[in-house]
Amino acid sequence: MKAARVFPVFSIAFAVLYVLAMENNWALFTYFARAREFHWLVVAPPTPRMGPAMYWYGWLATSALGAGVVATAAALLRADRAAGMWRGLSWAVPLAAIAVLVFLLRGWFIRMT
Amino acid sequence: MTTTLLIIHGLCAVFMLGALTHQALSVWWPATAGGRSVFHSFRAVRGAAYADTVVVLYTLTATLGAVVYPAYRISIRVFLEDLRLNAANGVFELKEHIVAVGLGLLPAYWYYWRQPLADGDALARKAVTALLAAIVWYSFLVGHVLNSIRGLGP
Repeated sequence: MKAARVFPVFSIAFAVLYVLAMENNWALFTYFARAREFHWLVVAPPTPRMGPAMYWYGWLATSALGAGVVATAAALLRADRAAGMWRGLSWAVPLAAIAVLVFLLRGWFIRMT
Repeated sequence: MTTTLLIIHGLCAVFMLGALTHQALSVWWPATAGGRSVFHSFRAVRGAAYADTVVVLYTLTATLGAVVYPAYRISIRVFLEDLRLNAANGVFELKEHIVAVGLGLLPAYWYYWRQPLADGDALARKAVTALLAAIVWYSFLVGHVLNSIRGLGP
Protein backbone atom coordinates (compact mmCIF):
# COMPACT_ATOMS: atom_id res chain seq x y z
CA MET A 1 0.00 0.00 0.00
CA LYS A 2 1.78 3.13 -1.22
CA ALA A 3 -0.16 5.57 0.98
CA ALA A 4 1.12 3.72 4.04
CA ARG A 5 4.65 4.94 3.27
CA VAL A 6 3.78 8.31 4.81
CA PHE A 7 2.36 6.78 8.01
CA PRO A 8 5.65 7.49 9.83
CA VAL A 9 5.38 11.13 8.68
CA PHE A 10 1.89 11.27 10.25
CA SER A 11 3.27 9.96 13.56
CA ILE A 12 6.14 12.46 13.60
CA ALA A 13 3.86 15.40 12.76
CA PHE A 14 1.25 14.27 15.30
CA ALA A 15 3.78 14.24 18.16
CA VAL A 16 5.06 17.73 17.32
CA LEU A 17 1.58 19.17 16.79
CA TYR A 18 0.23 17.62 19.97
CA VAL A 19 2.89 19.27 22.12
CA LEU A 20 2.27 22.61 20.37
CA ALA A 21 -1.51 22.24 20.69
CA MET A 22 -1.28 21.39 24.37
CA GLU A 23 1.19 24.15 25.23
CA ASN A 24 -0.65 26.85 23.23
CA ASN A 25 -4.15 25.49 23.81
CA TRP A 26 -4.98 25.06 20.13
CA ALA A 27 -8.11 22.99 20.72
CA LEU A 28 -10.37 22.40 17.74
CA PHE A 29 -13.26 22.16 20.19
CA THR A 30 -13.97 22.36 23.91
CA TYR A 31 -16.04 19.91 25.93
CA PHE A 32 -17.93 20.82 29.07
CA ALA A 33 -18.27 17.58 30.98
CA ARG A 34 -20.95 18.65 33.44
CA ALA A 35 -23.17 20.28 30.81
CA ARG A 36 -22.23 17.60 28.20
CA GLU A 37 -21.77 20.25 25.55
CA PHE A 38 -19.25 20.63 22.74
CA HIS A 39 -18.23 24.09 21.50
CA TRP A 40 -15.99 24.90 18.55
CA LEU A 41 -12.47 26.15 19.35
CA VAL A 42 -11.32 27.26 22.80
CA VAL A 43 -14.12 28.39 25.07
CA ALA A 44 -13.87 29.29 28.75
CA PRO A 45 -16.75 28.09 30.96
CA PRO A 46 -19.39 30.83 30.72
CA THR A 47 -20.94 29.85 34.05
CA PRO A 48 -19.64 27.75 36.97
CA ARG A 49 -22.54 25.37 36.35
CA MET A 50 -20.94 24.28 33.07
CA GLY A 51 -18.11 22.67 35.06
CA PRO A 52 -14.49 22.57 33.93
CA ALA A 53 -13.63 23.02 30.27
CA MET A 54 -11.90 19.97 28.76
CA TYR A 55 -9.54 20.71 25.89
CA TRP A 56 -7.82 17.31 25.55
CA TYR A 57 -10.26 16.02 22.93
CA GLY A 58 -9.79 19.24 20.97
CA TRP A 59 -5.99 18.94 21.11
CA LEU A 60 -6.26 15.39 19.75
CA ALA A 61 -8.49 16.58 16.92
CA THR A 62 -6.17 19.49 16.09
CA SER A 63 -3.13 17.21 16.04
CA ALA A 64 -4.82 14.48 13.98
CA LEU A 65 -6.11 16.99 11.45
CA GLY A 66 -2.76 18.76 11.18
CA ALA A 67 -0.81 15.49 10.93
CA GLY A 68 -3.23 14.32 8.24
CA VAL A 69 -2.52 17.47 6.22
CA VAL A 70 1.25 17.07 6.68
CA ALA A 71 1.12 13.38 5.69
CA THR A 72 -0.99 14.18 2.63
CA ALA A 73 1.45 16.91 1.61
CA ALA A 74 4.32 14.47 2.12
CA ALA A 75 2.59 11.93 -0.13
CA LEU A 76 2.02 14.54 -2.84
CA LEU A 77 5.62 15.73 -2.63
CA ARG A 78 6.88 12.12 -2.71
CA ALA A 79 8.55 12.68 0.64
CA ASP A 80 8.35 8.91 1.17
CA ARG A 81 11.59 8.77 -0.83
CA ALA A 82 13.27 10.03 2.34
CA ALA A 83 12.21 6.88 4.18
CA GLY A 84 15.62 6.60 5.83
CA MET A 85 15.11 9.90 7.61
CA TRP A 86 11.50 9.15 8.62
CA ARG A 87 12.39 5.78 10.11
CA GLY A 88 14.79 7.43 12.57
CA LEU A 89 12.49 10.32 13.39
CA SER A 90 9.40 8.11 13.75
CA TRP A 91 10.46 7.04 17.22
CA ALA A 92 12.92 9.80 18.17
CA VAL A 93 10.39 12.64 17.76
CA PRO A 94 7.60 10.99 19.85
CA LEU A 95 10.21 10.13 22.48
CA ALA A 96 11.40 13.75 22.51
CA ALA A 97 7.76 14.92 22.66
CA ILE A 98 7.25 12.84 25.81
CA ALA A 99 10.39 14.37 27.35
CA VAL A 100 9.04 17.86 26.56
CA LEU A 101 5.66 16.94 28.08
CA VAL A 102 7.37 15.77 31.28
CA PHE A 103 9.23 19.08 31.41
CA LEU A 104 6.06 21.11 30.81
CA LEU A 105 4.23 19.22 33.56
CA ARG A 106 7.06 19.45 36.08
CA GLY A 107 5.00 21.88 38.17
CA TRP A 108 2.90 18.95 39.40
CA PHE A 109 5.93 17.25 40.89
CA ILE A 110 8.27 19.97 42.05
CA ARG A 111 7.62 23.23 43.82
CA MET A 112 8.60 26.05 41.48
CA THR A 113 9.49 29.48 42.78
CA MET B 1 -22.21 2.64 33.76
CA THR B 2 -18.91 4.49 34.24
CA THR B 3 -17.64 1.74 36.53
CA THR B 4 -18.52 -0.93 33.94
CA LEU B 5 -16.74 1.00 31.20
CA LEU B 6 -13.75 1.52 33.50
CA ILE B 7 -13.50 -2.24 34.12
CA ILE B 8 -13.73 -2.98 30.36
CA HIS B 9 -11.11 -0.26 29.80
CA GLY B 10 -8.85 -2.01 32.31
CA LEU B 11 -9.41 -5.45 30.77
CA CYS B 12 -8.56 -4.15 27.29
CA ALA B 13 -5.41 -2.62 28.77
CA VAL B 14 -4.43 -5.99 30.29
CA PHE B 15 -4.82 -7.75 26.93
CA MET B 16 -2.81 -5.04 25.20
CA LEU B 17 -0.12 -5.11 27.88
CA GLY B 18 0.32 -8.85 27.33
CA ALA B 19 0.39 -8.57 23.54
CA LEU B 20 2.85 -5.66 23.49
CA THR B 21 5.15 -7.19 26.10
CA HIS B 22 5.30 -10.49 24.17
CA GLN B 23 5.94 -8.58 20.96
CA ALA B 24 8.56 -6.20 22.40
CA LEU B 25 10.52 -9.04 23.99
CA SER B 26 10.30 -11.16 20.84
CA VAL B 27 11.85 -8.37 18.79
CA TRP B 28 14.44 -7.13 21.32
CA TRP B 29 15.41 -10.50 22.77
CA PRO B 30 14.52 -13.13 20.16
CA ALA B 31 14.21 -16.71 21.32
CA THR B 32 17.00 -19.03 20.31
CA ALA B 33 16.53 -22.57 19.09
CA GLY B 34 16.18 -25.26 21.71
CA GLY B 35 15.23 -23.15 24.72
CA ARG B 36 12.62 -24.65 27.01
CA SER B 37 12.24 -22.17 29.87
CA VAL B 38 9.11 -20.12 30.46
CA PHE B 39 11.06 -16.96 29.53
CA HIS B 40 12.08 -18.54 26.27
CA SER B 41 8.47 -19.46 25.52
CA PHE B 42 7.37 -15.92 26.37
CA ARG B 43 9.74 -14.53 23.73
CA ALA B 44 9.15 -17.23 21.14
CA VAL B 45 6.12 -15.62 19.55
CA ARG B 46 5.53 -14.38 16.01
CA GLY B 47 5.48 -10.66 16.76
CA ALA B 48 3.87 -9.61 13.50
CA ALA B 49 0.74 -11.57 14.43
CA TYR B 50 0.09 -9.13 17.29
CA ALA B 51 0.34 -5.85 15.36
CA ASP B 52 -3.25 -5.49 14.11
CA THR B 53 -4.61 -6.61 17.48
CA VAL B 54 -2.46 -4.06 19.32
CA VAL B 55 -3.70 -1.25 17.03
CA VAL B 56 -7.34 -2.24 17.63
CA LEU B 57 -6.86 -2.71 21.39
CA TYR B 58 -4.97 0.58 21.80
CA THR B 59 -7.66 2.47 19.91
CA LEU B 60 -10.44 0.75 21.86
CA THR B 61 -8.74 1.26 25.22
CA ALA B 62 -8.01 4.93 24.51
CA THR B 63 -11.59 5.47 23.31
CA LEU B 64 -13.01 3.90 26.47
CA GLY B 65 -10.61 6.00 28.52
CA ALA B 66 -11.82 9.11 26.69
CA VAL B 67 -15.43 8.17 27.45
CA VAL B 68 -14.84 7.81 31.21
CA TYR B 69 -12.42 10.76 31.37
CA PRO B 70 -15.14 13.39 32.09
CA ALA B 71 -16.18 11.45 35.21
CA TYR B 72 -12.56 11.61 36.37
CA ARG B 73 -12.32 15.31 35.56
CA ILE B 74 -15.48 16.21 37.48
CA SER B 75 -15.09 14.13 40.60
CA ILE B 76 -11.77 12.27 40.99
CA ARG B 77 -9.47 15.14 40.07
CA VAL B 78 -11.31 17.47 42.44
CA PHE B 79 -10.97 14.85 45.17
CA LEU B 80 -7.22 14.61 44.55
CA GLU B 81 -6.90 18.40 44.53
CA ASP B 82 -8.75 18.61 47.85
CA LEU B 83 -6.24 16.17 49.32
CA ARG B 84 -3.39 18.14 47.71
CA LEU B 85 -2.19 15.01 45.96
CA ASN B 86 -0.40 16.98 43.28
CA ALA B 87 1.88 14.16 42.19
CA ALA B 88 -1.12 11.85 41.71
CA ASN B 89 -2.81 14.47 39.56
CA GLY B 90 0.45 15.05 37.71
CA VAL B 91 1.05 11.42 36.79
CA PHE B 92 -2.50 11.26 35.40
CA GLU B 93 -2.02 14.48 33.43
CA LEU B 94 1.13 12.95 31.98
CA LYS B 95 -0.76 9.75 31.22
CA GLU B 96 -3.38 11.53 29.12
CA HIS B 97 -0.67 13.28 27.12
CA ILE B 98 1.57 10.28 26.47
CA VAL B 99 -1.48 8.17 25.57
CA ALA B 100 -2.21 10.86 22.95
CA VAL B 101 1.36 10.60 21.62
CA GLY B 102 0.87 6.81 21.52
CA LEU B 103 -2.30 7.22 19.48
CA GLY B 104 -0.36 9.26 16.96
CA LEU B 105 2.38 6.62 16.95
CA LEU B 106 0.02 3.82 15.87
CA PRO B 107 0.28 4.46 12.09
CA ALA B 108 4.10 4.24 12.24
CA TYR B 109 3.89 1.18 14.49
CA TRP B 110 1.52 -0.54 12.06
CA TYR B 111 3.69 0.44 9.08
CA TYR B 112 6.89 -0.99 10.59
CA TRP B 113 5.12 -4.26 11.45
CA ARG B 114 3.81 -4.86 7.95
CA GLN B 115 5.16 -7.90 6.20
CA PRO B 116 7.73 -8.31 4.78
CA LEU B 117 10.02 -5.99 6.73
CA ALA B 118 11.80 -3.55 4.42
CA ASP B 119 15.58 -3.26 4.50
CA GLY B 120 16.68 -0.87 7.23
CA ASP B 121 13.36 -0.85 9.11
CA ALA B 122 14.39 -3.29 11.84
CA LEU B 123 15.60 -0.65 14.32
CA ALA B 124 12.52 1.53 13.72
CA ARG B 125 10.29 -1.49 14.37
CA LYS B 126 12.11 -2.29 17.61
CA ALA B 127 12.16 1.32 18.84
CA VAL B 128 8.52 2.09 18.02
CA THR B 129 7.39 -1.16 19.67
CA ALA B 130 9.44 -0.47 22.81
CA LEU B 131 8.10 3.09 23.02
CA LEU B 132 4.51 1.94 22.65
CA ALA B 133 5.06 -0.81 25.25
CA ALA B 134 6.52 1.76 27.68
CA ILE B 135 3.53 4.06 27.12
CA VAL B 136 1.08 1.23 27.80
CA TRP B 137 2.96 0.04 30.90
CA TYR B 138 3.11 3.56 32.34
CA SER B 139 -0.57 4.21 31.60
CA PHE B 140 -1.65 0.90 33.05
CA LEU B 141 0.27 1.39 36.28
CA VAL B 142 -0.91 4.99 36.73
CA GLY B 143 -4.53 4.01 36.08
CA HIS B 144 -4.25 1.15 38.56
CA VAL B 145 -2.66 3.30 41.28
CA LEU B 146 -5.23 6.09 40.86
CA ASN B 147 -8.06 3.57 41.07
CA SER B 148 -6.57 2.36 44.31
CA ILE B 149 -6.40 5.91 45.68
CA ARG B 150 -10.00 6.79 44.95
CA GLY B 151 -11.56 3.36 44.59
CA LEU B 152 -14.24 2.28 42.14
CA GLY B 153 -17.80 3.51 42.07
CA PRO B 154 -19.44 6.84 42.90
